[in-house]
Parts: sequence; structure tokens; C-alpha cells
Amino acid sequence: MMKGKVFHGGIHPPTFKELTAQKSIKKFPSPEKVYLPLLQHTGTPLQPLVKRGEVVKRGQKIADVDAFIAAPLHSPIAGKVIAIEEWPHPTRGKFGTIIIENNGSQEDEIAGILSSEEMEGMDPKSIQNWIREGGFVGLGGAAFPTHVKVSPPSGKKIDTLLINGAECEPFITCDHRVMIERTDFIFTGAYLLARACGAQKIIFGIEKNKPDAIEKISQIARNFPFPTQVFALPTLYPQGSEKHLILTILGKEVPPGGLPLDVQVVVSNVQTAWAIGRKAKEGIPLIERVITLSGDCLKSPENLDVPYGSLLTNMVEFCGGFQIPPEKTIMGGPMTGITQVTLDVPVIKGTSGFVFLKKTIPKKEYFCIRCGRCVDHCPMYLLPTDLVRYVENGAFQEAKKQRAMDCIECGSCSFVCPAGIPITHFIKIAKAEILLQMRKGGK
Amino acid sequence: MNELRFIQTPAPHFKSPVTVPKIMFTVVLALIPATIGGIYFFGPNLTLSPLIFSILSCLFFEWLDGKIFKKPITITDGSALVTGLLLGLSLPPGSPFWLSIAGGGIAIILGKQMFGGLGQNIFNPALVGRAVLLISWPNLVTTWSAKATFAFPIIEQGLVAIPQGVDVVTTPTALAISKEYGFSVLSQFEPNILWRLFIGNIPGSIGETSAFLLLIGFFLLLGLGIVKWDIPLFFLVGLSSIALITGQNPLYHILAGGAIIGACFMANDYTTSPLALKSRIIFGFGAGALTGIIRILGGYPEGVTFGILIMNAIVPLLDKMLPRQFGVKKI
Repeated sequence: MMKGKVFHGGIHPPTFKELTAQKSIKKFPSPEKVYLPLLQHTGTPLQPLVKRGEVVKRGQKIADVDAFIAAPLHSPIAGKVIAIEEWPHPTRGKFGTIIIENNGSQEDEIAGILSSEEMEGMDPKSIQNWIREGGFVGLGGAAFPTHVKVSPPSGKKIDTLLINGAECEPFITCDHRVMIERTDFIFTGAYLLARACGAQKIIFGIEKNKPDAIEKISQIARNFPFPTQVFALPTLYPQGSEKHLILTILGKEVPPGGLPLDVQVVVSNVQTAWAIGRKAKEGIPLIERVITLSGDCLKSPENLDVPYGSLLTNMVEFCGGFQIPPEKTIMGGPMTGITQVTLDVPVIKGTSGFVFLKKTIPKKEYFCIRCGRCVDHCPMYLLPTDLVRYVENGAFQEAKKQRAMDCIECGSCSFVCPAGIPITHFIKIAKAEILLQMRKGGK
Repeated sequence: MNELRFIQTPAPHFKSPVTVPKIMFTVVLALIPATIGGIYFFGPNLTLSPLIFSILSCLFFEWLDGKIFKKPITITDGSALVTGLLLGLSLPPGSPFWLSIAGGGIAIILGKQMFGGLGQNIFNPALVGRAVLLISWPNLVTTWSAKATFAFPIIEQGLVAIPQGVDVVTTPTALAISKEYGFSVLSQFEPNILWRLFIGNIPGSIGETSAFLLLIGFFLLLGLGIVKWDIPLFFLVGLSSIALITGQNPLYHILAGGAIIGACFMANDYTTSPLALKSRIIFGFGAGALTGIIRILGGYPEGVTFGILIMNAIVPLLDKMLPRQFGVKKI
């Protein structure tokens, strides 16, 4: 077994993964209309390449922008562009959105299939461009453009590619199912990612609560021509944070403000690898993904393979509707997810799922009693309660000195706080304010 | 489906079931063995009045403060109950009821509410109450009553007087005898002194005498994850170090007086102890060492109260010591 290090802190929230962990991925039928926001990644918003009334094929590029940190957008269905207008966005209120109506023609635009010889022969630069053209972003939630991740600046060498299959958020099981049901493409994609960034080996990190996935991936890894290992991670939230994944598997710590490439590592989500593998084999860019719809309200929680732009309300119907109306609808898992105001939001690239909760008993808020639980459970060695005090008093520079920017916003501090203080939220405010002040200061 | 209204909150949307009142009431539960032990050893006549009046006084003054300053009434969070119980347990058996009332008022008003209430205070409220009583009425707070069956002899001018009385007598504590005449004299009177200190049938404050019963409560809290081991352990390490340096029996110092209740229930009070491990170790060691220094070199036979209070004062300083930063290796 490889060396590894359990990280400091962390929590064990109830996982509720049994609701969907053993349910096979179901194909969500191609919707009547899709709603594709022009911002689905971390970076520069896109410009539409199509006009109202234009007919597009499935897989056709419909939006792009001349910027490095951006990933183009492709149409997930064949049909006609009926509008480009503001529409509810799961994280940004409303945002410019391309709306396409299905014309039922099922016409595909296939591009970028790679033979095994081509995969071996391509140089890293052309693989990076090939990845950018596919519109790939990290599908774990942050949606950072993948081609940027695998383009280390000159002088930086990458030795390891980590494929993140930790999936530590409660309820979410989409990566788990993809690892079991779509293993082949994952390996193709991982190989291409490793070649693009120059990594010498691939290591899969999967939490021990998914033994079937570990087994399945290990079987293929054994005979895979590229050096590939599987690491069974402890089941501990936030194991899926890339910094903690690297620490656990390789024993290395990413420096403050740094990136995985500072410790010669690239981390990619397992579904991203799958989507890249699929483009290589089938010529289909990033137009679909598997998400988990779960919680205690749906008649039938599911893992769904959905085209981007499908509306949440249609997916809820597909799952049999609600048996109890939810009080809270969350995009993502309950630890880091964002509450939604409407079911009219579309699935975007960073959507790992939606969770519906029927009862949300608010925890009564007390003054901080300095019990230190947030300190004990913080995986970044912060003193979260002190950061809250600085924010309450507007002392953002002091918060910066006390490493507020190191916070990974995992939510462990808020989870354990017996006084019910939304600590993570306070620190997010601090981070936003510090960034603002830095920009104003011109630094 | 559009009539659905969703609640908007920041992440995380899961919260652990631990709450402030649950913690406080668990601490009270953990103190129950020592409380019952105290009532058993000294008898209800000597113990119920200090205990009950301390608790009632703390609750009353917290309520009064809320009323006068038009703040929310916070007595249901359980923290005043903990303070009152700890204060009562640290008073001598047979102390007058008004002493408890005064102590409770000082603990809550001066020790806690003046700083802004729960979580804002610098000093442990129960110890503030006890310290002020100790300075204001030194005789009352150091007059120890106990059942004649386990009282110590009074030594005056070399003469040993066995305390006389039908039931209850006034007696010195073990620490008072050992401070005056040395541990060897004490162990002459009572060869089983360490065992009796462990069990608790020995003169002292109501709740501090039985190391055994206090440790039951402490290990309960430890097992439930309410408290940590660091401060109590290093308190005892600090105290033992001073005992060893000065050539005294460290085990005796750990078991005698308020060392166990101080280490396990007072020094590690959430609000008045530091947050990170390194600072907690320094804090615990310092409080223990100061206790030893006061006991052995200072004017008082017992030093737990002032040892902890002095370290409370430097907690903000200790909290400036951040843990190591993620991604930065030690040089």
C-alpha cells in the first residue's frame, strides 16, 4: 500500500448515499427545450456563436470566447435556437442563456475521435487544445476549465495525475455509479489527461465507502498499459477537496494560495475523465453528465444521465415528483451546495446533483462559547471562531493575516458549531471582502 | 409546482445535533457523582445549603442582569447552572448561605455578565466568585467542617488535639497540615492518606475531595467528546513538575485539594481557555505549575483558584499563537 496521511480535522456527516448508491444510471430523455447559460465554468463568460432562429446539431459549438480561462459550450440536442435571453441560473440569479428547442432530428456533429495510435502520438499541446475544444471543465463542482489545469506553466513539471473519486458529499452518488458503469471511458480519459500534463503515473482516489467502485477500477488498473494505482481513501469529509486528496495520497501539502501543480500534481474529477474518454471514442464533446437527485422528498431518488440545460422541474417529474414538498432545494451536496429559489434552473456543467430536504430545523444561535470544535475539525488549521469575530468587527485585514484566504469553504466548522453560528458563511464574506480590497488596492 | 417556496440559507445545510444547552447539561451530569459524593461524605446539613444557594444565586443574578439591562434571558442555556454548581462544589461544607449568594452574584455579574455574557468572559466565573470570597471572608472560606469520623487532628504549638464533637467538627485540610508541618507529619497521622484523597472521605471543599468521583465525570465528558485531554493532563504535569522540583510527592499534590476538579472541570472551561493545541498545552502546564508554586512557596495552602485565573488572563495572548499553516513546513 502507498504511504498516505490522514488530514487534520474533518467530520463524519450522515451520508444518505444508500438512497441512490445501488441505483443504475437512468437515461433522461432528450428534453423539448434546453437552457444553456453562457457561464457554466469558473472564468470568463462566453459569447454566443449562434443567432436566434439558427438550426444547430447535437455537439455543435454554440458559444466560446477568446480567453484562456474559459471552456466553450456545445449544444446537447439538435434543434433551433429560439432565444438568447436571461434565465434563472443555479448560482448566479439570472444569466444570459441560449434556449434551444428540440426538432427531433437527432443530428449529431461528431468531431475529435482519436485512435489509439493518435492518442499515443499526439504532443501535450495538441491534447490540451483538443480538450479545450471539447468544453471540458472539472465536473466535481468548481467547474474549472480542464485544459487550463493540464497546462503547467513552463518550468513546472507534473509527475502524478490524481483522479478524484472521493465523492465525500452526502447524498451524491453520481461519480460512484459512473465508476462502476462507465469504467472504460474513465481510463481513456485519464490516459489523455496524463499525457496532456506530462504525468508519469495515474492514481485513483476513492473513499472506502465505495468498495464496489474500488474493486472495479482496480481490476482494470491492474492491466492498464499506463502506470495506474488505486488508493482507498478513509471516509472522512472533506476528503474530496483536492488539497486533502493530495495530502492523503501523496503526503504533500499544496502551499497557501498555490495550486496542485506546485507540488507536481494535477487533480481531475472522475466524471471529467469519463467525458474526455467519451470524446476520444465517440466524438461527442461535453454535453451530458450524470447527476444525483436525492433527499427525503422525491418519490424515487435517481442517478440520471442528463443533457445540459435540462430543467430541474422536468427531472423532478421524471423521478415521480415529490411525495412531500421540500422546504429546501440544494444544487450540489448539503455541505457545500447552493439553495435554489426555483425549479426552473437548468443543469449546468458543475451540477453534481440536486438534494431536496423536507424539514430544515434551524439551529438556535448562541454566542460563541469558544468550545474549539471548529478549530479541531478545520482541515486547514484555521481558528474559524476568531475569523468570525474579525468579520463581525469589519477587521478584514486582520482576518487576512489570520489566513482567511486559506479557507476551502468545506463547511465543517458550521457543521460542528454547537452555537449554530454560520461560521463558513462569515469566512466567505471575509474572503470576498479581502479580494475586493486587494483589487481596489491595485495589488 | 410553482407554488413551492424554498428556504434560502448558506451552506452547509447539515448541522450536528450538539448544542450549547446540551453541552452544559452534560457537564452538570458529569458533576453529579462528585456532588452526591460530597453530600454523602459531609452530610446534607452541611452541603445542601451552599450547593442550592450557589445555583439559585447564579440563576437569579443572570435573570436579574437580563431584566435590568433589557437583554434576552439566557438562564435556560445551562451555563449559569454549571457556574453555580461549580461554585457550590468549591465552597467549604457548612459555609453560611449568604456566602453562596454573594459568591453567585460576584461570579455571574463580575465574572460573566460584565464582559457581555456567555462566551465573552475572560475569567472563569465560578473561580472569580470563589477568589473574591476567599479574599473578602478568608476565615469563612478556609474553615472546614467535616464528620468527626474522618476529620484531621488540630496541631497547635506542637500539641495534637483530636477534634471533639458528637458529629461535626472543625478540622484542617490535608494541604493545610502538609504546608505547615510537611507531608511526613501528615502521613504519620494517616498512613492511607493517598487512598483517602482518592476516595474522598477527607476534609475539604464539598465537591473537590473525591478524585475518583470527579474522574468518573471527566471520563464521561471525554468519552462524549465534550472535553479534551490536553489541558487536564498538562495541568497535572505542571503541578507534578513543581512538586518534583521541590522534592514533594507529586501524586499527593495531584490528589489533594482542588487539583482534579480544577484540572478537569475549571481550567478546561471552553470560554476561558485557548483554542489551539500548542497554546492549550502551555495554558494547562502554566496553570498547574502556578498551582504548585502557590501551594508550596506561596501564602495559601491551595493555589488552584489563582493558578487558573492568572493563566485565564493570558489566554488572548496565547490565542495569537496560530497553529502551523497548511502547506507550510516547519523550518
